Amino acid sequence: MSNQKADPNKQQWEDSEFPIVCETCLGDNPYVRMTKDSFGKECKICSRPFTVFRWLPGTNMRYKKTEICQTCAKLKNVCQTCVLDLQYGLPVQVRDEALNIKSEAPNSDINRQYYAQNIAGKDTDISHYDASKAAPENRDVLRRLARNEPYYKRNRPHICSFFVKGECNRGAECPFRHELPGGDAELAQQNIKDRYYGNNDPVANKMLSRVRTSGSSLAPPQDKTISSLFITGVEDEITETDIREVFCTYGQVKSVVVVHRSKCAFVNYATRSAAELAAQNIADRGLNIKNRALRVAWGKPRPQGPRSDTRKQGKLLLSFNEGIYRMI
Amino acid sequence: MPKIRTQRTKRPPEGFDDIEPTLEEFARKMKEIENEPHEGKRIVEGAWPVFRIHHQRSRYIYDLYYKRKAISRELYDYLIKNKYADANLIAKWKKPGFEKLCCLRCIQPRDTNFGTTCVCRVPKTRLQEGKVIECVHCGCRGCASGD
Repeated sequence: MSNQKADPNKQQWEDSEFPIVCETCLGDNPYVRMTKDSFGKECKICSRPFTVFRWLPGTNMRYKKTEICQTCAKLKNVCQTCVLDLQYGLPVQVRDEALNIKSEAPNSDINRQYYAQNIAGKDTDISHYDASKAAPENRDVLRRLARNEPYYKRNRPHICSFFVKGECNRGAECPFRHELPGGDAELAQQNIKDRYYGNNDPVANKMLSRVRTSGSSLAPPQDKTISSLFITGVEDEITETDIREVFCTYGQVKSVVVVHRSKCAFVNYATRSAAELAAQNIADRGLNIKNRALRVAWGKPRPQGPRSDTRKQGKLLLSFNEGIYRMI
Repeated sequence: MPKIRTQRTKRPPEGFDDIEPTLEEFARKMKEIENEPHEGKRIVEGAWPVFRIHHQRSRYIYDLYYKRKAISRELYDYLIKNKYADANLIAKWKKPGFEKLCCLRCIQPRDTNFGTTCVCRVPKTRLQEGKVIECVHCGCRGCASGD
C-alpha cells in the first residue's frame, strides 16, 4: 500500500504519539491511564481525522478526550482539550489581545487546510506566543488574569439535563451531576470554533471588560502614611532628573530613588495629598517618559513588622533558656 | 438445539419433575424479557435482564446440587448438558472470590480498555463514594464476594 499516488496537497490525516494537554485537563492523579485511538474522531476545528486520547482526570470526573488536532493546537498554542492557552490558561481571545497577536492564518475551507499543511507544519516557531516580547503592562495583565492553580472543577461531569427537567430515571447511578445550572446564561453559550479563533467568546469578553474597568487601580491605599509611588519599566535611559521633572508638578518631592538594575524607581512625596494627586493624574493620563510606557503603583510600607517580631522571638528564646537554667 | 421433547428423546433422570415448574418459570420470564420494548432504556440496559435471569437460573441449579445437595449427580449433569445452567459460570462460582460472580463478561479483560475486570468486581469498601454502580455489561451493582 504505497503512497506513490498520494497527492502531496491532499489533507493528511494526523497521527500523534502524545497529546498536547494542560495540567488541569490531565487531573490531579499523577498516574493516568490513557487510551489512544488513531484517527478516532474529526478535529472540531479543521475536521481532519486525528489521534484521540482519552483519560480519566481523577475520581468522580468525566472522561476527557482531545477535541482538536495537534496542528490546530500548535497553531494557537492551546490545550487540545480545553482550547485554553498552555502557558496562562486563558482564552485565546484574551491572550491575543494582551499580546497583540493577529493571526494571519486563514479561517475557512481549502485555504485553511493549505495553510495548516504547508506553512504551519514546516515553520513551527512558537516564539509567536513568547511573552517576553510583549509590553510590560500586557504581560502584567496576563499574569494577573492567569490562574495559579489548576481548576479541577472544569473536569466534573456535565449537568444532567434530565434532572433539570425533573425526569432523571437513573437516580443514584446517574453519572451526571444532579445540580441546577448556576452562573450566567450568556456564558453558557459557547462555541468551540469561536473560542479557538478568538471571536465572540463570552468568557473572554467578560475577562477583558473586567481588565478595562479596573484599569491599574490607582486608588489611594488604606495606610495613610504611604506617600510614595513605585514605578516599574524604568529603562536605563530614564534618569532621576526625568522622573523628578514629571512628578514635581504635583507637589514637593522629598526624594527620588532610581534603581536601574531592577528597572524601578521610587518617588517619595513630602505630603500624602501630593502623592494622591500624582496618582490620580497618572491614572487618567498614563505615564510616558522618553516614549516609554511606565507602570505606576503605590509604594509598599517600610517593613517594620518583621524586625519587631525577631526582637520578640529573641526575648522569648532568652526567657525559655533562662527557664531551663533555673530548672537545672 | 435440544429442549424439545419428542417420543424419541430419553426421559430426564428422576427428580426432574420436582424442579420442572421452577425451570418453566425461568423459561417464561426469559421469554417475557426478550419481548420487552426498548423504550426508555439505554442500549446496553436492554440486555441486562437477560443476564440477570441467566444468573438466577444457573444459581438455582448450583444451589440445588452443591449447597443443598437436593438433586443427584445424574440430574445435575443432565441439566448442564441441556443448557438449563451455565457450566462455565458455575465453574467460576466454585472458586474462592468468585462466589457471587454476576456473569462471565465482567471478568473478561479483553472487554476492557486497560485489560482489567469490570467495575462491578470492585468491593464496595474500595469504591469510596457511596455511589451506585451499574456495570455496563450486565447491570450488576457489585459482585465481589465481600459485598
